[in-house]
Amino acid sequence: MSKLNIKNLIKSFPSMDRPAVNNVNLDIESGELVAFLGPSGCGKTTILKMITGLFQPDSGDIILDEQSLLKIPTEKRGVVMVFQNYLLFPYMNVNENVGFALKMKGVDKNIIDQKVKEMLELVKLPDIGLRKPKQLSGGQQQRVALARALISNPRILLLDEPLSNLDAHLRDEMRDLIVTIQQKLKVTTIFVTHDQEEAVLLADKIALIFDGELQNFTSPKNYYEKPKNIKAAKFFGGVNFINAKKDNHNLSTNIGTVHYKGENYTDLNEDNIITIRPENIKLSKNNDFNDNSFKGLIKSVIFSGTHTRYKIIVNDLELECSLQSVGLQDIKTDDTIYVHLPSDKIWAMNE
Amino acid sequence: MGGERLKIILSLTPPLLIIFTLFFGGIFYGFLQSLGYQPAIGKYEINFSAYYNVMFSERYAKLFWTGLGLNLWVSFASTFLAAVFALFGALAIRKTFFAKTICNFIYSLNLPMPHLVVAVGIIFVFSQSGLLARLASQIGLIGSPGDFPVLVKDKYGLGIILAYIWKEAAFFFIILMSVLQSLGENFEELAQSLGANRWQRFRYVILPLVMPNLFSASIIVFAFSFGAYEVPALLGVIYPQMLPVMAFEFFLNPDLNARSEGMALSIIIAIIVMILVVFYFWLTQAKIRKD
Ligand SMILES: Nc1ncnc2c1ncn2[C@@H]1O[C@H](COP(=O)(O)OP(=O)(O)O)[C@@H](O)[C@H]1O
Ligand SMILES: [Mg+2]
Repeated sequence: MSKLNIKNLIKSFPSMDRPAVNNVNLDIESGELVAFLGPSGCGKTTILKMITGLFQPDSGDIILDEQSLLKIPTEKRGVVMVFQNYLLFPYMNVNENVGFALKMKGVDKNIIDQKVKEMLELVKLPDIGLRKPKQLSGGQQQRVALARALISNPRILLLDEPLSNLDAHLRDEMRDLIVTIQQKLKVTTIFVTHDQEEAVLLADKIALIFDGELQNFTSPKNYYEKPKNIKAAKFFGGVNFINAKKDNHNLSTNIGTVHYKGENYTDLNEDNIITIRPENIKLSKNNDFNDNSFKGLIKSVIFSGTHTRYKIIVNDLELECSLQSVGLQDIKTDDTIYVHLPSDKIWAMNE
Repeated sequence: MGGERLKIILSLTPPLLIIFTLFFGGIFYGFLQSLGYQPAIGKYEINFSAYYNVMFSERYAKLFWTGLGLNLWVSFASTFLAAVFALFGALAIRKTFFAKTICNFIYSLNLPMPHLVVAVGIIFVFSQSGLLARLASQIGLIGSPGDFPVLVKDKYGLGIILAYIWKEAAFFFIILMSVLQSLGENFEELAQSLGANRWQRFRYVILPLVMPNLFSASIIVFAFSFGAYEVPALLGVIYPQMLPVMAFEFFLNPDLNARSEGMALSIIIAIIVMILVVFYFWLTQAKIRKD
């Protein structure tokens, strides 16, 4: 049970013209499962390596349970990292691999054997202790790597893209196993991925990182409903963006005045941007909404199974709307339509 | 299909024939000679007396057994020390930016250099009239160059060992650098995050990872140093004498009867090396089966 604070963390490499990690701040609560999400090369692994101590930051601090880690060598931090390609020691069998951390601590052989057994049961591989790594499938290797990481009760568990080398069906299984084990052991965990869906399914909170900069750090739900900026909204499939100005507790736009109920109104700049998810927009041929209703023209209709997607032009602005296909009104291209943006579903952002 | 195959076999036959004749013919003829069969001087007998002479006769037994001891000592010591030096050298410089330069330097300078040149170099630097001895007496570390320890032409084969270390460490070094490079640092970083300190990372991670390659290279180096002639001829003493030198002296003997002893000794050397190599393959095979 450990809480981790990352403060103004910066790391540059001589080969790069921007910092690989640029002024990242994060507060991770004890027992949380946090995903680092971002495209390849955005600095996720570099942050993990600074937490383990394998990289030294240029500036900033990493604080675990109120104590700075920077002066503590990697092997004494109690921060364990699981690498993307499993890295089981090829010359050791599974038991020896899993027991490695305890052996390094000089723990008694009988106790190690007992703990190894427990760990292999935890990852649901009780009977493979005597096999060599190359006799295991990718999924099994990853589970052994997880058992090896957990055996010494790490204060922080770091998982670097643990699922990206696995087949699709194994990936779901492994993801569920990680969540189950994490909830059981309550170990503070950081999980790195470039897959947005994976992050949403797994994490309590997601840190979205682009080009070494933290874009947003919040719950998966908030990324859909209350993103911090356009980049974050777009990464999670946001498509509707409307330039807006503050106007006496409302927002004025060039499609008209929008009533706003978001709690962040006071934090908004004079100029800001409204976003709304396609599935939260409502359409009607008759103007039967009493609020935030705007007249537009249907540009296209695309049926995609359970949902139907509409593109609507409102005053030169294109909006996208996605409705459940069941029980739809008959709406066709070039129809005039009223577009409703429910005031509790719209969200305004500064950039 | 069958025709193709036959064509390949037929076209390979002439060169294979030549190789077989030279190799097995040579060995066979040498073996005959070692059994005392030398038509050139009118000897047609076949027996093992040359082997007996070399190993057990009053005249040669002492020379042979001390020579064998020296051979084993020199080969083991030089192989082991060269491997150790190369390992620590490679670990020390692999992360520095000039690692590649050093590799290339050794590659282009040390490896192609004949052992003979290295042996002369060793005399130049380490003998009692050599560079180090003069230097040490100049700066007053020792009274005169003659007080310098006997490192060349000494009865423990130190000069020979030194020459082999110089040459073979470079060979080990090149192999180790490429192994370490291909392994990367991930295993060590992982071990470190699992709590392994510097020594433990060396002992439980690096060593087992490089061991297979190091071991194979050791066999090559050992076999070579066990049978090589020129370095011990230049840097060794009359007694004890390494076996290849002893064999060569039999051949230099104007008495052609000594040829049989020379051949017998050469074959003994070859058999010892072969036993060691077979033992090594048996060891690795046993390990593979166990895995
Ligand atoms: N040891 C290193 N030396 C130089 N550049 C590095 C090093 N490690 C990472 N980088 C660079 O830093 C950037 C971020 O890398 P990384 O943290 O591995 O990204 P991610 O894990 O998000 O894919 C990349 O551009 C990468 O090339
Ligand atoms: Mg990475």
